[in-house]
Amino acid sequence: MTGRQASPSLAGAEDPIVFVIDDDSSVREALSSLFRSVGLRVEAFGSAHEFLQLKLPNVPSCLILDIRLPRVSGLDFQAELAKADIHIPVIFMTGHGDIPMTVRAMKAGAVDFLTKPFRDQDMLDAVTAAIERDRNSRDEAKVLSNLHELFATLTPRERQVMALVTTGLMNKQIAAEIGLAEITVKIHRGHIMRKMGAKSLPDLVRMAELLGIGPASGQPQT
Amino acid sequence: MIRKPTIKSWRSAEQWLLGSMALALGTVAGIWLLLDPVPMAVPHFAALVLLIASLAASLIMIGLAGRTRRQMEAMLQGRASAEARAIETLRNSEAQWKEVFEHNPVMYFMVDATGTVLSVNTFGAAQLGYSVSELLGKSVLKVFPAEEQLAAKSNVGVCLENIGQTHSWEICKVRKDGSSLWVRENAKAVRRLDNQLIVLIACEDITERKEAENALRQSEMYLAEAQRLSRTGSFGWRAGSDEIIWSEETFRIFGFDKAPSINRATVIQRIHPDDRARVLRTTGRALSEWKDFEHGYRLLMPDGSVKHVHARAHAVKDTSSGIDFVGAVSDVTARKRAEMELHEAQATLAHVTRVTALGELAASIAHEVNQPLAAVVTNAAACRRWLDRDPPDLKEARGTLESIIKDGTRAGEVIQRVRALVNKAPDQKAPLNINDVINEVISLVQHELLNHRISLQLELSPALPLAVADRVQLQQVILNLVINGIEAMQPVMDRPRELMIRTCQDEARQIMVTVKDCGVGLATENADRLFDAFFTTKSGGMGMGLSICRSIVDAHGGRLSASGNAGPGATFHFTLPLDQEGAP
Repeated sequence: MTGRQASPSLAGAEDPIVFVIDDDSSVREALSSLFRSVGLRVEAFGSAHEFLQLKLPNVPSCLILDIRLPRVSGLDFQAELAKADIHIPVIFMTGHGDIPMTVRAMKAGAVDFLTKPFRDQDMLDAVTAAIERDRNSRDEAKVLSNLHELFATLTPRERQVMALVTTGLMNKQIAAEIGLAEITVKIHRGHIMRKMGAKSLPDLVRMAELLGIGPASGQPQT
Repeated sequence: MIRKPTIKSWRSAEQWLLGSMALALGTVAGIWLLLDPVPMAVPHFAALVLLIASLAASLIMIGLAGRTRRQMEAMLQGRASAEARAIETLRNSEAQWKEVFEHNPVMYFMVDATGTVLSVNTFGAAQLGYSVSELLGKSVLKVFPAEEQLAAKSNVGVCLENIGQTHSWEICKVRKDGSSLWVRENAKAVRRLDNQLIVLIACEDITERKEAENALRQSEMYLAEAQRLSRTGSFGWRAGSDEIIWSEETFRIFGFDKAPSINRATVIQRIHPDDRARVLRTTGRALSEWKDFEHGYRLLMPDGSVKHVHARAHAVKDTSSGIDFVGAVSDVTARKRAEMELHEAQATLAHVTRVTALGELAASIAHEVNQPLAAVVTNAAACRRWLDRDPPDLKEARGTLESIIKDGTRAGEVIQRVRALVNKAPDQKAPLNINDVINEVISLVQHELLNHRISLQLELSPALPLAVADRVQLQQVILNLVINGIEAMQPVMDRPRELMIRTCQDEARQIMVTVKDCGVGLATENADRLFDAFFTTKSGGMGMGLSICRSIVDAHGGRLSASGNAGPGATFHFTLPLDQEGAP
């Protein structure tokens, strides 16, 4: 069975997409209709396997997953996705929500856990939240990758200095620490601020935190 | 012997008399001639002539008398010899009769009015173990046991009151050794020449007959008792004269008063109106084909109660009695009732296990209802949103409504199916497609299969004929076999869990359903007990499932069996007969 139901606005759009996996076509169709009625793009699948055939577009999205699926359970599939480094917010649906399953799902990073039949608003709220979360994480990821790109332009000495600056040391202390002239440290610092696009020292500190630059190493920890 | 000398002496006396008469006449004539020979006067002559004439007449008379005497003598002689012969004959006859009397295999007694034995024949005495002398002069009561003595006395008394009339009776006698014998006595009182009243008794030993009679009576009593106990009566049917001869028990079963015979119409009257036509058909056919027959039917008794009877008859040709059929009819009401109660109990048990099985499937069934329900709710919400749009999207709204109808119906069907299984409906056999039944069951266990990660293979032959069966009962059988398969595969971790359901027609063209799993299989030591009630290998099992499945399949005229697979797991098959034309 091919459960894919492409929404008309899919092609080339940047709009968020809701993915649905449920082995029951009635539920799939109903959810598709609901999401489309509020203007969301939907793609529905009858099995996890079908979903994995898809090249996920780079847009904010979320996955609505029935916890009981043929062959592989929703929870196992969630773990599989994580292992495959696919980070998509998951909303679980279940016929009868039992607590251990809910706990496991939430611990594994599920956005929400809805019991069938659910209120449409609960589902839409959960989807909105999930898409928001995905959008944020996508934004964060974008910021971080920019920072990495900028950090990559720094020379090893500049990276060393940046690490020390962001731990709060004075130029003179840094100079003593690494055996340079204070003036040289000051020049490096100016280069760092410019290359990284930092407007102020606190800005740079925040960047260092995002990059995970510790005082011990001049390298990002990620 | 005594008279012969008398006759001889009498004859010599006669001769002597004649001689002396002749001598006297001669003497008279001589005297007369000597005294007066010359003057022959006429008167003298005349007297002489007269004398001579009388002499001659005497001589003639003597001759005549002699002849007559001889004749009489001869006659007397003949009579005497006839008498002797008669005496001889009588003697012989007496000896003969005595012989007959002594040794005739009939016991003769002659007793006086007080019952004292005056005479008894040797046979009679020997039969009683006595010698004749041991009985003579003794009271005849000696040969009667104490309990019969009164009867014996009164029998003699009756004879004495009716002299010359013969009376007969049967009575028991006792031998010298204490053993008893039955006799039939014919007796008569007569008055003897000496005016003494005696009773002559002839008795014949009827012990054998009596024993045979007793044996027969006993056997008849046993038979009647056996008939009563077994509630089985016998009958003979004379078709020609439309007469039916019944045993006592048959009369009791049919509730008629005992009569020598009964006609068929009367019997038919007692038969339940719904069964009458069938009974007439059966008996009519048996009669025309002259064949044994067997049938069961109901009787509607006058009090409105219903009896179930079963009759079997054998066609016979007994010209002497004119009987055409001999048979037995049993009152099987109690058995029928027990059967009905058993059936009821089985149905209840089947129902309980069905509900239990459904209980195990509760989660699966809930899921089957919940899925369409969730779809309905979601579709309804979507519908509202499509309508709330500006402008409302009626096409989409209509689409959701169609889905709502479809899903609502689907949920309803699941509930109906469950309700049918939960309901305790009576048997409702109807032609059905077994594949439909299997699909209905699958719809209930789908989720259970999913939960246990079992993949289901369906190989349902599309061109199967219909089977006549009770849908719910068959669903129960399939449900049970599927649940068993699922449970058998629970411990399986090292191979795919596969359950296969196949339908086909076997060599006998019967419908065959196969449920095959790859689970733990059957332990050989359990194979025989698999279908026994209360036999289970499961910790939580009641052990009724397979037992009930088998009784259901049996009731459908099919067969349920199990076998181990060549590989892992077990296979259960059951067959169902086809919906044959004219089958009830």
